[in-house]
Amino acid sequence: MAGLSFDNYQRNAFLASKTHSNLPKATSTGTTIVGVKFHNGVVIAADTRSTQGPIVADKNCAKLHRISPRIWCAGAGTAADTEAVTQLIGSNVELHSLYAKRQPRVVTALQMLKQHLFKYQGHIGAYLIVAGTDPTGAHLFSVQAHGSTDVGFYLSLGSGSLAAMAVLESNWKEDLSKEEAIKLASDAIQAGIWNDLGSGSNVDLCVMETGKDAEYLRNYITPNVREAKQKSYKFERGTTAVLKEKIIDICEVEEEQVLVV
Amino acid sequence: MNGIQVDINHLKKGEVSLGTSIMAVTFDGGVILGADSRTTTGAYIANRVTDKLTRIDDKIWCCRSGSAADTQAVADIVQYHLELYTSQYGTPSIETAAAVFKTLTYENKDALSAGIIVAGYDDKKKKGEVYSIPLGGSVHKQKYAIAGSGSAFIYGYCDKNYRENMNKEETVEFVKHSLSQAIKWDGSSGGVIRLVILTESGVERLIFYPDEYENL
Amino acid sequence: MTSVGTGYDLSNSVFSPDGRNFQVEYAAKAVENGATSVGLLCEDGVVLAVEKLVASKLLVKASPQNKGSGANTKIQTVGRHIGCACSGLVPDGRHLVNRAREESQQFKQLYKRDIPPVALADRMGQYVQAHTLYNSVRPFGVAAIFGGVDPETAEPHLYMLEPSGVYWGYRGAATGKGRQSAKAELEKLISSRDDNSPITTLEAVKELARIIYIAHEDNKEKEFEVEISWCSREHTQGKHTLVQGTMLEEALEYAKSKTSNAQDDSDDSDADSDDAMQD
Repeated sequence: MAGLSFDNYQRNAFLASKTHSNLPKATSTGTTIVGVKFHNGVVIAADTRSTQGPIVADKNCAKLHRISPRIWCAGAGTAADTEAVTQLIGSNVELHSLYAKRQPRVVTALQMLKQHLFKYQGHIGAYLIVAGTDPTGAHLFSVQAHGSTDVGFYLSLGSGSLAAMAVLESNWKEDLSKEEAIKLASDAIQAGIWNDLGSGSNVDLCVMETGKDAEYLRNYITPNVREAKQKSYKFERGTTAVLKEKIIDICEVEEEQVLVV
Repeated sequence: MNGIQVDINHLKKGEVSLGTSIMAVTFDGGVILGADSRTTTGAYIANRVTDKLTRIDDKIWCCRSGSAADTQAVADIVQYHLELYTSQYGTPSIETAAAVFKTLTYENKDALSAGIIVAGYDDKKKKGEVYSIPLGGSVHKQKYAIAGSGSAFIYGYCDKNYRENMNKEETVEFVKHSLSQAIKWDGSSGGVIRLVILTESGVERLIFYPDEYENL
Repeated sequence: MTSVGTGYDLSNSVFSPDGRNFQVEYAAKAVENGATSVGLLCEDGVVLAVEKLVASKLLVKASPQNKGSGANTKIQTVGRHIGCACSGLVPDGRHLVNRAREESQQFKQLYKRDIPPVALADRMGQYVQAHTLYNSVRPFGVAAIFGGVDPETAEPHLYMLEPSGVYWGYRGAATGKGRQSAKAELEKLISSRDDNSPITTLEAVKELARIIYIAHEDNKEKEFEVEISWCSREHTQGKHTLVQGTMLEEALEYAKSKTSNAQDDSDDSDADSDDAMQD
């Protein structure tokens, strides 16, 4: 019979549901990321929790990625994908700017990202907030895994995006100053850290002002510093008693002196 | 789903969709495109101020409905085609733009969910034109077109209230009233109403906020 | 031909030390020996005409009376609104037009409008030029005259494409064995008119018939027929059509009458000045 055979479809579905050995799942980072524009720049921020299912895999991971010196990116979704896609496009953006002899533009990075992600039809699980400054000004965009993009004055993505958006929607106003934007972005991330199970630990931040170098502020806020242990759990030397000592010669050692003339 | 008949038009998991109300209407001196501004992922509004009216050429624009990723990609490719066309053969007609849209959506119908309205002002013919290109990739030249999930609620309204040779102001009112109703009854439409007006004199953009259109 | 035997003429992809591609020049030679083709750009359209040398008495004749005899037509139709007359190797011309038809259909499929003659000339130019680059192919042994009316603008266009891939827009174009005298006649015809009395397709049909007769003078021993086609805004609605019946009959009658008593004053048109390469 010509064409594709779906004979085993139901059998496979049945086996998948009955088998105890589960198929491997990609790690997905529950995340809160935001971006906020201000009068002459843009700021992006992220939490630093990385998860594998119910386990916190990393308490202080970095979710802010550099595409070019003045274009930065906050990633949610599959950790490996956000890192890989961001490095790939970063590399291509650098080649492109070398070739064109021009400062890289945010729209260029965005277009490269969306075309790459669209090509993979959502199988690359990268949800990104792309921001930066270039000769045309400051920009803030988001890209979804399937390749769609959005523009905005303030954006949030990831499992904590609802908590973050609640903060953004209630506190955002037009023409924010740099300091106000930083405050708003970090407040929004903290809403994710405290209210979303998938997000936690610290706030990373990156400020991009037009005509200036980007400022990457790793662990801008650290509200979850582990409290010092009240006791030391180190064992004193000699805690373990020596019951017996025995030295065994494994081989014969012959000594010989060689004279060099 | 029984494994053989697969619904190709359902959105992939986590995909952003434009559950939408869009329309384009020809009038005496041009054409008006209108759209709501809501994009959703499931029950969450991913963007409440989306711009679904996209430029293809100076005076050829389109309204996008369906998957945001698919329609943006298609619109980008058509824009590229027409830019190349312009450099070789001069300004394209609206029909040519619609034909390129059709080729892409028809030949990739298995992979795309894109319902598009192409509209433009033809400076040679001195009139506006509207082409509707629904899911399968067919092309329909119309006096006016409505599409998206919200359009279901306004077929009757539009049929009763559309008149040929309206002036610009009448058409703006017609589009505003129609989309207002579509947004009112469709859960996946909302936000602001965006309009693009294409005439001899150029491109004009309008925006209407909920407190303005909700109590017409 | 000093180049023969040097090895530089054996392949397409090899230049001679003085920067010539001999294969392309040989292809041009094939055209120079081919039957004459002419085209004329008119006020309201274009007219094409070819000299058809009768290779055998057994071939079906194309006489004005014998309308059913489309068996051996030489002018070809590319699309609704563009025609093509070729000189040189006939099968190459057939293949070229086949490609032109594909190009015109592909254009229409994508853009939902007829291909403008300029765009067709350009695409065919690229195709022919590509045949001067590769080892595995030979250049086209034809020069093709494309004539048509752009349905979008209603403007008439005339282009001639050569084996090198070069193409130019012409007011009057001629190629093939009788091109020298044909060109001289075209020049006379065009310069005799000014902007106030531009030539019409109706007149051009007769004039081109006459020019084919004149171009055939040097080849008198061979029997020939004349084939004419036109794209006229008003007479054929821009459609490329063969001239047949009484209209063709009248044109041929006119040509014969003009050539029998014009033979003496056509002697001044034999200067072979623009033909640089001689063997």
